[in-house]
Amino acid sequence: MFTFGGFGSLGVSHSSMHLGDYTLDSTMPKGAGLSEDWSTGNDSRIAGHLVAKFTPKVSAVLQVDSEYHTGNSYQPEVELASVKYAFIPDAYIRVGRIALPTFLDSDNRDVGYTYAWIHPPLELYRQLAIAHSDGVDAMYRVDIGDVGNTIKAIIYGENTIERSTSKSISKDMWGIFDTIEYGPTITHIGYQERLSDSENLQTGVTGAWVRNSDLSVGVQYDPGNWFAMSEWIQRKSTTKLSAMYVSAGYRVKKFTPYLTYSQNSQGSFLPGLPPPSSSSIRLANRAQSTVSLGLRWDFMKNTDFKLQYDQVKLSDNSNGFLANVPANVSLYGAKFHVVSAVVDFVF
Amino acid sequence: MKPLEIIRNCLTLPLLLAMSTVTASAHADVVVIVSAKSPITSITAEQTARIFLGKVSTLPDDGDAVPIDQAEGSAIRDEFYSKVVHKNSSQLSAYWAKVIFTGDGRPPEKLESNVAVRKAVANNPNAIGYIDKNAVNRSVRVILAP
Repeated sequence: MFTFGGFGSLGVSHSSMHLGDYTLDSTMPKGAGLSEDWSTGNDSRIAGHLVAKFTPKVSAVLQVDSEYHTGNSYQPEVELASVKYAFIPDAYIRVGRIALPTFLDSDNRDVGYTYAWIHPPLELYRQLAIAHSDGVDAMYRVDIGDVGNTIKAIIYGENTIERSTSKSISKDMWGIFDTIEYGPTITHIGYQERLSDSENLQTGVTGAWVRNSDLSVGVQYDPGNWFAMSEWIQRKSTTKLSAMYVSAGYRVKKFTPYLTYSQNSQGSFLPGLPPPSSSSIRLANRAQSTVSLGLRWDFMKNTDFKLQYDQVKLSDNSNGFLANVPANVSLYGAKFHVVSAVVDFVF
Repeated sequence: MKPLEIIRNCLTLPLLLAMSTVTASAHADVVVIVSAKSPITSITAEQTARIFLGKVSTLPDDGDAVPIDQAEGSAIRDEFYSKVVHKNSSQLSAYWAKVIFTGDGRPPEKLESNVAVRKAVANNPNAIGYIDKNAVNRSVRVILAP
């Protein structure tokens, strides 16, 4: 009735930019660059995954993940915890903590073994504001000839993300996601809405509820010996911005070299709103782009080794996603390099 | 050894080698099978791939699909997944890692030999498997020879 498995990654990265930390996620208090010469924070984690099948229709999942986050620690957290009722094998409803299928790899972004990259392209995946939601979702899968169509709906969701100095709260989330598979081609379209608010944990000041809407589109072509994929998102809240990447790789026996270009735009403030604060302007101006060249090597069963080189370019009025940049420092237009290596495994 | 015998041996050796090569390639001829009791007579490679990847849960006749896999690392399994699913063993384990760790999906049940798969398929009208062509007998029907 119970099955247990898990996955993990052990990675290090180094950045040539010494005036800011190269962090993949806003909850990471520090990273490679300013705070550390070599950092293990971005790409190291271990997780256990427990599935219980009570009946053919009723099952439950619990996934606990230890990764670097708020509090400068790897304290384990519940990543997934849900109970599922499958009406038929191709339709279910779930209640609990559920991963959001915003992107092609958003619900498996922590499982490095499942994709070629060291980690999913930062400029797009930083736009995944919420990795999981606490609520209800449903799935229905229907085939039309050789075309597979999977519809997922977030019926209700909420989420809280705590950082060292602030807290983001989301509620009233809903969304609809459609994945169409035809032979080696997968297309994915998603739309989601939520209300969000943030609280400054030092002053206790909260903002106002803001409606967020995200539209995401992805295409992947993988006939076997090579792959090409691209994803795009447009986000609207008080600002409007977009982000995208294109990536391609070629498989030669156990080796998969790949090349990725990714970028995110500057957020433009929507008309008819009060003038933005200086911190909102700073958060809106995070445009940057990255060219990544990497190699995955499947050197052992259920284990891979990857190397990646990134060249990151910050836009003219942006410090990008660099963390801990001193208040008086502007890195506008700067270029820097990141090298990363990781071993991913599943068990 | 007489000169004639030497010449004959010289001629036979390449022939034997050639025959062994033919046998080896024939040995890796994978076919997709269902029980002889099943009404299904054919299936496409695409449909077969989707059943073995757990993307569809029914057979072409709308019955529940019970795919039966072979042991990891076996030549017949590599042959099947490369010809029909267009994935090598690393791509396949990466695929299943994604399915398993994003929900409660499970890869198909695995059996250890062509004979074990043939017996399991013969006994279950919902089962679908793949075996070496040479292991086929009357208890099963070949529905795809990729």
